Amino acid sequence: MKLRIGADIGGTFTDIVAMADDGTVHRLKLPSTPQDYALGVAEGVAGILRQTGGEAEDILHATTIGSNAILERKTARTALVTTQGFRDVLEIRDLRMPRLYDINWTKPDVLVPRDLRLEVVEKLRPDGSVIKPLDRASVERVIATLRETSVESVAICLLHSYANPAHEQALASAIRIALPDITVCISHNILPEAGEYPRSSTTVVNAAIQPVVRAYLGQLQRLLREQGIAAPLQLMQSNGGLTSADNARLYPARIVESGPAAGVVGAAVLARRFDEKLLVTFDMGGTTDKAGMVEDGQVSRAEQMEVGGGVIAGARLLVGGGTLLKLPTIDLAEIGAGGGSICRLDPAGAPVVGPQSAGADPGPVCYGRGGVLPTITDCNLVLGYLDPAGLAGGSMKLDHQAAWDAIETHLAKPLGLSVPEAAMGMRRIASSTMMRAIRAVSVERGRDVRAATMMAFGGNGSLFAAAMAADLGMQRILVPPMPGLFSAFGLLLADTEHHRTRAWRRRVSPDLVTELQTTLDAIATEANALVAADGYPAAHCTLRLQAMLRYVGQSSEIAVQLPHQNAAQLLADLPALFAAEHAKVYGFAADLGEPIEIISLGAVATGHPATPRLPDSMAPADAPPMPSRRAWFEGVGFVETRVLNRRELNDTPLPGPLIIQEYDATALIPPDWTASRDSFGCIRVLRDGKSG
Amino acid sequence: MQIDPIEAALFRNAIVALADEMALTIYRTAYSGVLKNIMDYSTAICDGQGRLVAQGLSLPGHLASIPVALQACLRHFGTDIAEHDVLTMNDPYEGGMHLPDIFVFRPFFAEGRVLAWAATVCHHTDVGGRVPGSNASDSTEIFAEGLRIPPLKLHERGVPNATLLRIIERNVRLPERVMGDLRSQLAAGEIALRGLADLAGRHGVAELAALLDDTMDYSERLTRHALLELPDGEATFVDWIDDDQIDADVPIKLVCTVRKTGDRMVFDWTGSNPQVKGAINNTWSYTAGASYCAAKCVMSINMPNNDGVFRAIEVIAPAGTIMNALPPAACAARGLTGFRAADCAFGALAQLYPDRVFAASDGGNTGITIGGTNADRRPFIYVDFMSGAWGGRPTRDGLDGNTNMFANMASFSIEAIESDNPIEVLDYEMVPDTGGPGLYRGGLSLQRTWRLLADEAILQVRADRHTHRPYGLQGGGEGAASRNILNPGAADEHELRAKLTMQLRKGEIYRHQLPGAGGWGDPFTRDLAAVAEDLKLGKITAAAATLDYGVVIRDGAIDQDASRALRAER
Repeated sequence: MKLRIGADIGGTFTDIVAMADDGTVHRLKLPSTPQDYALGVAEGVAGILRQTGGEAEDILHATTIGSNAILERKTARTALVTTQGFRDVLEIRDLRMPRLYDINWTKPDVLVPRDLRLEVVEKLRPDGSVIKPLDRASVERVIATLRETSVESVAICLLHSYANPAHEQALASAIRIALPDITVCISHNILPEAGEYPRSSTTVVNAAIQPVVRAYLGQLQRLLREQGIAAPLQLMQSNGGLTSADNARLYPARIVESGPAAGVVGAAVLARRFDEKLLVTFDMGGTTDKAGMVEDGQVSRAEQMEVGGGVIAGARLLVGGGTLLKLPTIDLAEIGAGGGSICRLDPAGAPVVGPQSAGADPGPVCYGRGGVLPTITDCNLVLGYLDPAGLAGGSMKLDHQAAWDAIETHLAKPLGLSVPEAAMGMRRIASSTMMRAIRAVSVERGRDVRAATMMAFGGNGSLFAAAMAADLGMQRILVPPMPGLFSAFGLLLADTEHHRTRAWRRRVSPDLVTELQTTLDAIATEANALVAADGYPAAHCTLRLQAMLRYVGQSSEIAVQLPHQNAAQLLADLPALFAAEHAKVYGFAADLGEPIEIISLGAVATGHPATPRLPDSMAPADAPPMPSRRAWFEGVGFVETRVLNRRELNDTPLPGPLIIQEYDATALIPPDWTASRDSFGCIRVLRDGKSG
Repeated sequence: MQIDPIEAALFRNAIVALADEMALTIYRTAYSGVLKNIMDYSTAICDGQGRLVAQGLSLPGHLASIPVALQACLRHFGTDIAEHDVLTMNDPYEGGMHLPDIFVFRPFFAEGRVLAWAATVCHHTDVGGRVPGSNASDSTEIFAEGLRIPPLKLHERGVPNATLLRIIERNVRLPERVMGDLRSQLAAGEIALRGLADLAGRHGVAELAALLDDTMDYSERLTRHALLELPDGEATFVDWIDDDQIDADVPIKLVCTVRKTGDRMVFDWTGSNPQVKGAINNTWSYTAGASYCAAKCVMSINMPNNDGVFRAIEVIAPAGTIMNALPPAACAARGLTGFRAADCAFGALAQLYPDRVFAASDGGNTGITIGGTNADRRPFIYVDFMSGAWGGRPTRDGLDGNTNMFANMASFSIEAIESDNPIEVLDYEMVPDTGGPGLYRGGLSLQRTWRLLADEAILQVRADRHTHRPYGLQGGGEGAASRNILNPGAADEHELRAKLTMQLRKGEIYRHQLPGAGGWGDPFTRDLAAVAEDLKLGKITAAAATLDYGVVIRDGAIDQDASRALRAER
């Protein structure tokens, strides 16, 4: 039996999910090993091989090693070389701050301190022509300083290098010759686009985490080899595509947000299978929840992200809280609300949920580990939605009475409500906060969320999905198999994918045709070559092209998918394509004669497996029948409610109220919703029994 | 009506989210870079009486602006407001702030009456007048500053007011941009009306009105609670603007008295300079914005900004002063006075709450405009704003290279400046020894240097803190003064005034250095390791370490004993 094995590291647990060539799926959860994460992963991979007696074919890995290094400032000792006069760009950033009215706000530490930001004498014009040639003496001074300061890594970002890499290349090669052991990254390779601050920051991140990621991957591959596992290791990138370990070593900045991406990638594969036009993902765990969007089977992407930027306060206008990475990333909106969020009253006596979280330790009151203030999980317990017999198949008992008392003391009595009313109220407040994440990726992008299907996963996603969907006017919810391990599962379904972008600012006109064709062909060739290098023959590659466009005079652009690679035809089609997308996002478009500007071009090459990765169906796990229990619903009060496992559902919709309890998650089906299981194995939750 | 506390909390989330969605709509659809980079716009939901209920992400200066403007419109129109009307205005002397800020209001009708208002205000790129951008600081009356729009209907019962739109279009320099930005204000209003209809459907009309009231009452309770936590007291602070560019070198006095008693706070600007000839006169609402911004920074709770906050914090600004000017005073460049008003309010609060206030920041942004024609005779206008340093704080250093608290602005990219204009940027960096010395050092000056590549151009600069430097607190030193330098390093190098309008010729070089921020606490008590770190990072020089911090440097390292001796000597 050959296995495709996915390994997703979390702060507490490492999840291993494996899919055999016959479509059967196996899983293993084991404690993470923070002192050396590779140990836990290697042990997990070996464990699942023992458990199944199979042989590893591919190992797919999502890791937080890069983002942890940045957040904890455990990056390599790194220098930055800039054009003379501009070494402070990295520290000045774009001046923005993420919070107002807080005199104690402090900028995140800069990854390269000022004394390691060095300058060379040179200057290019925006078209790449040379104003001042690269001065040899200044290069020698830089090399001497690098030698003295014993840095491990160097980032090079010179002004206008996106237009001409010659100076960056000459400087890099001089450093490599003089100091062969130092890692050197040049901005032209990392992000060939105008904008010196995003380009510097992205290049610096790449350089600063490269030694860390290299060491980690080396260690992991060594441990796997020691276990006799020779299967190739692939890494999840922030853009949702997989890449080889070799490529990840060169471009570690691209795997920084690999964990959260995998779940959305899994959702996109299911959306394609079920032909869902518009799908919103809702992933709720213990401390945060995240929303993403999949349209026509494609994950929606953002052009940049901030590592450690914190969760959104609602509006995503406030930036500057983290370290900027300008690379294509799956667009996720994140809110600091989860099962562990603390419920309390503010000084005006009004109920508030979060942003403080009880975390895993002490955790909710019902865990009995010293938590005093009630959390969302305590609310779910007193309402009867969670099984007092315990989480994770009964491995942990929950203290119902303690949760009840805490809610009564801290919330119900001061608010003049009953305990279930107060608990339901806190759930509703949490939902209204989390809804903002879903609106951010849908409504705020001009998409009608009411027409979308929600895919709910994470340990708590399906407990809240129906209530949130009702408030958002949504009718359909899908709960995929293994909702609590869905990110690891998503790894198994991901494709190898590479993105190339090119800054290319031109006003759309027919005389661009030759230049446009050359540029499109060049980025397409580069992207295809990267996929080929990951081992995919041309027959198994597909290519998508896109352009960032705006009306001349506008100050922000939107992405438009290009249906083909014929420049002449594209120049004729662009006005209509752009107008259609603009109308979709903003509700209006100018006349077709309005001048349009291209800002950049992008190519995405995808490598597909010889046979589809998604099995025809996924059989639900065996589980014993469970007794019904009393659960509370608005307007009804406590009612005896059936508790089923996924296996007990079939394609006939059962009316709520129902609780569907699984090993890793619980789905709540309120009274005016129904639940069924489709032929693939997803739970389909529909409002008022509407078909869908 | 009895309000359920859960329903009230849900409603607050929804109404604040709606105001934020309006802000995001403008951010995404706006044409003008000023709107996006300086975020010089605000959105809000008000109740039927024009009281502020929820504000979207906003420029601090706009904290008080929307209800003042809306209520002026309501006074003007009385009951003459119909469904699908859209109101607009920009007149500073009838509720506005300065002419580039155009307000757009849309009523939300339910059961035949106005239940709420959707409000937006945006700084437009140009509203006509004598200079491009309509923001010169050397105009002397409002008639020179551009098109003045009293409260009018932009749409009447859903029909666009073609007369008004044609007048606007004909009087501004970049009509496509102004019309595009007005469209995005209308789009934000549309989002709000849809959301309000949804809320009315959910809660019922009667309860919606009660929930709007409750949202304001809630903020009032939180504000009064936060004020009660602070000790009572009264303090007065005086700060200065160098001059108004018309009466050169005549300093302009700002006086702020803060009186805090129980759950009330008063900002009283009595004693401030009479209004001035130059275009830096505030309206009451802009002075109030600066006062509220300072108050919000010392309160430990960040409550939703609305009428409830205003009930607990009173702002007094006598008419005819620079803090509350009378017509026909010019006010286009009043941004400067807002920044200084914030500095002055912070200075007063620092005496009452020394552990909650930072020393003076850079004094606000510097506005720089270079305009002329390219080699191919096409006109170019390059408008830049620089900002950058926070004052030393009660527990840590001031920030280096960060936007001023009073304006969450972004900087322009060097590569974009050079691509779009016949200008070369020679540097953009921090200047050592410019942060006010202190136990906690003030932020450093930033400097940027430009070389003109076109044949000639007009350079306009609005800077300040040239003679009156950013103050330190608790024994901390002042920040460095701002500087404007022509042809630095050349034989004809010379210093220019803080505010200027002059001709630049091809190849000439202009450098601006922002003020440094003030320090907090006695610099001779600064941790030696912190001094060593600043020295290593090149943020101070060895000479300054000795002079300002009493630290002796020998062979590049701190001599601990000699330093202690030097510090003890003082």
